[in-house]
Amino acid sequence: MISIRGVSKRFGTRLAVEDLTLTVPRGVIFGLLGHNGAGKSTTIGMLLAQVMPDAGELEINGCDVFADRARALARVGAIFETPAFYDYLSGWRNLRIFCEYTAPASEERMRDVVHLVGLDARIHDRVSAYSHGMRQRLALAQALLPGPELLILDEPSEGLDPEGIHEMRNLILRLNAEWGLTILFSSHLLSEVQQLCSNLAVMREGRLLFAGDWRLINTHRQWLCVRVDRQAEAERALLEAGLVDEVQYDGRARLATGADVPWVAEWLVAQGFRVEAIRPIERTLEDFYLETVHGRDPVSAASRPAAETAATTPNGDAR
Amino acid sequence: MMFRRQLRHESVKLFARKRTYIGFGAFVGLQVLILALLQLPRARAAFDKLLTTNGYLPEDYYAGLTLAMLIIEFSIFLMGALYLALVGGDVVAKEIEDGTMRMVLSRPVSRLRLLAIKWIACAGYTGVLMLFLGITSLIAGVIYRGRLGQLFVFVPPENLFAVFPTADGLCRYGMAIVLLALVMQIITTLAFMFSCFKMKPAAATILTLTVMFTDFVLRNVPFFQSFKHYFITHHTASWVRVYHDIIPWWTIGESLVYLTALGATFWIVGAMAFCLRDFKS
Repeated sequence: MISIRGVSKRFGTRLAVEDLTLTVPRGVIFGLLGHNGAGKSTTIGMLLAQVMPDAGELEINGCDVFADRARALARVGAIFETPAFYDYLSGWRNLRIFCEYTAPASEERMRDVVHLVGLDARIHDRVSAYSHGMRQRLALAQALLPGPELLILDEPSEGLDPEGIHEMRNLILRLNAEWGLTILFSSHLLSEVQQLCSNLAVMREGRLLFAGDWRLINTHRQWLCVRVDRQAEAERALLEAGLVDEVQYDGRARLATGADVPWVAEWLVAQGFRVEAIRPIERTLEDFYLETVHGRDPVSAASRPAAETAATTPNGDAR
Repeated sequence: MMFRRQLRHESVKLFARKRTYIGFGAFVGLQVLILALLQLPRARAAFDKLLTTNGYLPEDYYAGLTLAMLIIEFSIFLMGALYLALVGGDVVAKEIEDGTMRMVLSRPVSRLRLLAIKWIACAGYTGVLMLFLGITSLIAGVIYRGRLGQLFVFVPPENLFAVFPTADGLCRYGMAIVLLALVMQIITTLAFMFSCFKMKPAAATILTLTVMFTDFVLRNVPFFQSFKHYFITHHTASWVRVYHDIIPWWTIGESLVYLTALGATFWIVGAMAFCLRDFKS
């Protein structure tokens, strides 16, 4: 659905995106992660032909975003972190204005979309009277009006209350499952990304650190929680024996490549430690993200080429 | 069809904003102020003296048409550029500042088309504001004096001293307003051009006013008299030339062509800046 090849962008002396190559398969919810200034919004801007790249090519649905913008963006909807509207006009009038720039929608279609985002009761009110959550829903409505195949969501949950975040998440899942939309989702809320996306890309300082199904990476390295009678001594011994390569607080340790939990348990018993508990810890996206951006996980960043890992379907099958 | 709809929406956006009406309100306020000032004994005496020394009866001319012309002369000089620059400078830059431009450009609409729609809406606003000024000035003058009367026009920088009977005066007045609506487009277009660059709406307005003010000052410096044809304000003043006994259509046409060419240049420069720039939050 989206193909980005060798794209770079510089703002003055600052390199915003460097040689980015990324593929987003059709039908997935694809997460775009990174710190502030990592290049996520610039990438989205380039996909929407709002930011001109210095080098590289961007395609949506096989159409070049800059050479054939009308076709490339014809079935694309986008919403931004702080959706802006003409506050002095009604939500309905705003939708009319936005959709009639390119693809006029029928009254019926507009009503359906407004109903879908749950704005029926307030759609004829002035946008200045809308809450942030209502503005986000109006933004989603305008993005859905042209009947998109691809939805680009730049920080859609930013500023929403927990209920709003929950509603937004469910709506995104529904749009993906029922409407079959491909969704490119950029967010700082890692818990949201974890619940929505298996495929994701991690960027830092304009460079792509990882792209693909992070859950597959999860299986290569594992964290475990070890409780023994002489905790500090055991942790040191595990490190020296090369069974774990990192020990954190509260008995958390990361297994070395090739090691597994039963092996560690056997080894500890053989060394005379009394094992009180040993269990694998399911790694969260936050763990994965921090390891990736801080370069602590050789599997994610080095062993698997980013472009290669991106070429997977939502189920993890090779394309 | 689509273009018409988009233009309608652009006009709705423009005319639904309260600040669009500041110009209309300010002009009405200024009309009342000018009429009040003309009542002052010294102002009235100066007016009467000017006519009597030239063999005319002040009572014949101190009426609706003449007062309307006086109001327009002062209004345009004092506030015309300001309100046109305010709207022209806002039209693109404000949308970029507010973030609505980014929303619009997430659609596959051509940037040039978008600019064309916005400029036409601005040009429409300029025309409407000038017509409003012309009509309300005339109404204010007629209400104040109770009749149209004959028209007396005195514009020293243009070496213009003219009197017209009511019917001819009304016709000339109508032509002047139409010409005014045309020549003032250059100010809107200049502000529009600045608005396309990466700057705040207020900066676009201030830059436009700076250019117009500098142009006006330099044009009136004796050293530049031989270069006056290059100054914008020399050509924008062409609207009063319809009050010459024999209308200098050729000169007026030259001014219109010059302003059109300059406006086209401003438009192209603005469009290039707009089309090449990045839009990012």
